[in-house]
Amino acid sequence: MENLQEKLAYEWITAEAGNVDVASDFYCATRDIFEARNDKMPDYLIEKGMDDGLAYMIYSMAGELGNNSFDHNLGNWPDIPGIFYAYNYDGEKGFLMMADRGIGVWNSLKKAVPDLKSDCEALELAFTKKISSRILENRGNGLKFVKNNIFDKNLFMEFRTGNAKVSLNHEMKIIETDEDIKGCLIILKF
Amino acid sequence: MKIEIQKFGDKLVSRPAGREAFLAMESYLLNDLPADELIEIDFSGVKALTPSWADEVVTKIAEKFKNVKLLNTENETVQATLKTLREYSDLKI
Repeated sequence: MENLQEKLAYEWITAEAGNVDVASDFYCATRDIFEARNDKMPDYLIEKGMDDGLAYMIYSMAGELGNNSFDHNLGNWPDIPGIFYAYNYDGEKGFLMMADRGIGVWNSLKKAVPDLKSDCEALELAFTKKISSRILENRGNGLKFVKNNIFDKNLFMEFRTGNAKVSLNHEMKIIETDEDIKGCLIILKF
Repeated sequence: MKIEIQKFGDKLVSRPAGREAFLAMESYLLNDLPADELIEIDFSGVKALTPSWADEVVTKIAEKFKNVKLLNTENETVQATLKTLREYSDLKI
């Protein structure tokens, strides 16, 4: 793993429930905490020299990803509610780490598509079709927005859930992994 | 009727916040307007917009009114959001 926050996010999502560091500065227990911290990101990126357009685009993408965790696990968190959220930018390279210990994409989308067969199939669907586990509402376009902006802005993202990993850059590639991640683990590089 | 989106904030991200904004618009701005009223949605001053927020506002206004115009949509996140809504939320404007 390339940086401390990436290591901490991995530890945060894979730890036994009793060992999760809920005192971490990177832990956002509620949507309000996440949004308050995310609201500070564009000013930080711009201060470090990032173009305003890209800074607000990354902020918007983080907003979609973070809010997704709260939207799709509300009332359903298996143990620790909320997300791990960290970012850094040195003026040239940066990253955003997000993780949740939620039900994951497959378990979530099964409510809308009961015959989904794998984490890989669920990820493919989540990034390409308008679909949402909140079946009584007309929603489900956030990940498509994220994907399109990664392509347009030449960014890189890895999104892991269950035993599936999608890598996005100029193209979308989904592979099956050996390790099973409960919830979602995301790194966006810029 | 012109709706100045900036009055609801310059960073417009979450779906719950969008839903709340639309409820306020319905009560204070859109109430009793006929379906053929010209509705201008003005994005000037908006720094960040997401499909989640906009789906609760722009898509719903477009469903309710026949004559909707979008103004000052130059911001990159506004452009990207409208593109997503046109592609995945059947937004026709």
